[in-house]
Amino acid sequence: MRPVAVGAMSPFHAGVFSLVVFTVLAMLFIASQLFLAAWLGEKKKSPEKSRPYECGIIPTGSARFRYPVPFYLVAIFFLIFDVEGAFILTWAAVYREMGFAGYAQMSFFIVLLLAGLFYIWKQGGLDWKEP
Amino acid sequence: MERAVEANRFLSIADRVINWSRKYSLWPMFFGLSCCFVEEAAAFTSRYDLARFGAEVLRPSPRQADLLIVSGTVFKKIAPVVLRLYEQMAEPKWVISMGSCSNSGGMYDVYSVVQGVDQIIPVDVYVPGCPPRPEALLEGLVMLQEKVCTERPSRKIFHLGGGSQGTERPVLEVGATKSEDPRGPGYEGVPIRGTSLLPGRLQWGSRSDIMWTPSARRMEFSDADLSLAAEVEERFAGRARRELHSSDMLTFEVDRGSVKDVLRFLKNEAKTKYKRLDDLTAIDESARRNRIWSEGMAEATSDVGAVCSFSKKERGRYPDFTVVYQLLSFDAARRVRIKSGLDAEGGAPVSTASVTDIWPSANWYEREVFDLFGIGFTGHPSLRRILMPEWWEGHPLRKDYPGRATEMAPYTFEDARKRQPLDALVVTALDAKAPAGEKEFLLNIGPHHVSTHGLLRCIAALSGEKIKSLDLEIGYHHRGTEKIGERQSWHQYIPYTDRNDYLAGSSLEFSYVTAVETVADIGVPERAQAVRVLLAELYRLSNHLVWLGTFAHDVGAMGPNFYTFVERERILDIIELITGGRLHAEFLRIGGLAADLPDGWKKAVDDLTAIFPRRLLEYEKLLRRNPIFLARTKGIGKISLEDAMDWGVSGPNLRACGLAWDLRKKMPYSGYDHYEFEVPTATEGDCYARYLVRVEEMRQSVRIIEQVARNMPSGRYVTDDYRYAIPRRGEMLQDIETLIHHFINVTRGMKIPVGEAYGATEVPRGEHGYYVVSDGLGSAYRMRVRGPGFANIQTLPLMATGESIADLISIIGSMDVILPDIDR
Repeated sequence: MRPVAVGAMSPFHAGVFSLVVFTVLAMLFIASQLFLAAWLGEKKKSPEKSRPYECGIIPTGSARFRYPVPFYLVAIFFLIFDVEGAFILTWAAVYREMGFAGYAQMSFFIVLLLAGLFYIWKQGGLDWKEP
Repeated sequence: MERAVEANRFLSIADRVINWSRKYSLWPMFFGLSCCFVEEAAAFTSRYDLARFGAEVLRPSPRQADLLIVSGTVFKKIAPVVLRLYEQMAEPKWVISMGSCSNSGGMYDVYSVVQGVDQIIPVDVYVPGCPPRPEALLEGLVMLQEKVCTERPSRKIFHLGGGSQGTERPVLEVGATKSEDPRGPGYEGVPIRGTSLLPGRLQWGSRSDIMWTPSARRMEFSDADLSLAAEVEERFAGRARRELHSSDMLTFEVDRGSVKDVLRFLKNEAKTKYKRLDDLTAIDESARRNRIWSEGMAEATSDVGAVCSFSKKERGRYPDFTVVYQLLSFDAARRVRIKSGLDAEGGAPVSTASVTDIWPSANWYEREVFDLFGIGFTGHPSLRRILMPEWWEGHPLRKDYPGRATEMAPYTFEDARKRQPLDALVVTALDAKAPAGEKEFLLNIGPHHVSTHGLLRCIAALSGEKIKSLDLEIGYHHRGTEKIGERQSWHQYIPYTDRNDYLAGSSLEFSYVTAVETVADIGVPERAQAVRVLLAELYRLSNHLVWLGTFAHDVGAMGPNFYTFVERERILDIIELITGGRLHAEFLRIGGLAADLPDGWKKAVDDLTAIFPRRLLEYEKLLRRNPIFLARTKGIGKISLEDAMDWGVSGPNLRACGLAWDLRKKMPYSGYDHYEFEVPTATEGDCYARYLVRVEEMRQSVRIIEQVARNMPSGRYVTDDYRYAIPRRGEMLQDIETLIHHFINVTRGMKIPVGEAYGATEVPRGEHGYYVVSDGLGSAYRMRVRGPGFANIQTLPLMATGESIADLISIIGSMDVILPDIDR
């Protein structure tokens, strides 16, 4: 087995260690906040208080039923393309290092999503369909 | 021992830190009931800037709020909602009761109003005033902050037992811990002043009878009126009769069975077509004094009878109820009144035929008559209560119904728990709409909602974001102002008129005094007329500025709100300089004004008119070409001109459909015919058209104000007909005759001769009218308030069905609704 040349790899041992410390600290902080909020916060439970707020009136019927939400589709599509943005932006940061291979892979990824977009478009997913 | 002291030191430091943080980060809820909320809102704008005190942003939901400012009148119909909102707020929470109504019922000691919010929720700080000025609310907030500093929250926070935080006062109980008597405890046996005037009590002992007045005004009928009278009397011979004398408009008495035919004839076939149903109401005639006389009940009091102003032949003319229809002809600019007597026959419920198939707008009017008088309408699609809650017993405008809340059982915490507003599903079922399908979701928008501009409840059946159908539930703001009109003396009623539309102030007094002056034929000096116009136009500007700011806010533009309130405060400054009041000027008097114009009024007005058009242009730039604003308003909420006329829509909402109908031009009053101005119109009938019309109206109002200020006539500010007016002080001190008039008119009040009249003016929201009926006493026999909002808002389902839920907010905003003129 050949020894790894110095500088060929990043000193990942130390990096992972700081990441672990950071994660633990973050989780401790979040846990303490949640605990303090739960412990210090004043709570008075009553049927009125746990009732949904609907302009001061007792709501009618259940909120859990199948309900057309045209905006939902748009929101989901947005999510997909938003994630695409996350990939493309990180790729932009290491564009030179990735070279042509990265370019090709990214292009394939974008083309694939574009094809998906055209498919959605053709299927009428972008039309605001009123129920 | 040492340890306990240590702990206490730690806790007291913690207390101090917590209280300091809390007092500067109070989160008030966006919750307004009536007039007071307008002053509360003003306290948040730039001049008063409540943010300085650390209570910056109004939270629209109770979950995000810990301060409830109960601003306005607590109605029995809304009280369960108030209680629920309070209970849904975050802990710890505090309550400020703002204004006399919320403190104690205030001037609204009337059947529909809770006499103090402390009967249902605990209160920390009371802010007095009607309404309190914004500064008073600032003071109230500072007092609450001081109260917060006295609390010991840390023991509670650290679960150590004991300690205190939030409102911990008990809810008060009438009779045990609080007295409902406005005079304080200890007066239980003494009747409240004015009790003898309450309806239902026989008033043959009234000293008004000893006072002589000329008879009511008799108008000269025009040829057109007479020819219409001939036309009707010929067509309905024996069934419709013209009343020989009238103070204000042609009046027919029509037999019960023929009313519908006569109305249909007047709407569709007569030479002049009376297209609009202005108003539909009723009068309970059972307490008419000559009727009581005729029944022989008063024979015992013969000494008073001797001076009674009724002649024998007048007695016994009245039926049990009279239903009154008032129609308007747009083409001829004339009105006509149809009266139809109804008698209860053998204990059967009184009823008459519904006219909903002639005018769709009659739907709500008939429900209102049914609610308040108990008169049935056969053929009405869904006859049920409209203003009073469903559980209400009795019909408040009947003469035998007690007017005061203090005469009824007090409203308690248990009532607020029990008397819930109707379930949305029940309302839609009662309105005979198709039951909500499986895909439809019933959503309540209001009564507590930022964008309903008051206590309006819209019940939308939603499918997706589309509104499939819309029901309205009103009456959450019913202040019984018509019943109050029957017990207040003619002058004492003036303050109530302002409150019937708390953004238009004097404009409403204007309608009311016009009506009374018409019955009694009281001349108004030119100077007083001009000042009335000045005030009405100033209030129009101030109202439209509030509208512009809030409408823009409704469609997502925060900016204009901050600016328009700056100019509004300038206008209120002028109004305050002249009248001494802000929202409620209470400055007009029957026959003139309360006082002359003060020094310096002209400069203040001129300064305003010099800068206003430029400022308006600036505000408009924020909106007019804003693509979001256009997308939210253009083509949204359309109503056609035919529909608008048929439904009785008035004011800018009607003019936005293309009809230049403005009372100031079409039926000029108070010298409006001397001023040059235009009546702006638009044709589309959508939200954008309504916006254009109102903005242009502001320009025209400035023109009128300029002209009034330039040509202000000199002379008296109040008539010298002191039989009806409150005399000028200088004159009162000079001769005994005037002193007597002064004494009579400010104590028991003057007498208005037997008669009736409708007086209306063009207020910012449309045609606001008062139909006053006098029985020759010191107060009205019937006080009918015709609010423009009642007719306007009835078209909301028409405009909003099929639009999206976001559009509903645009539409309500563009209609400029205000609840007191809808629910009254």
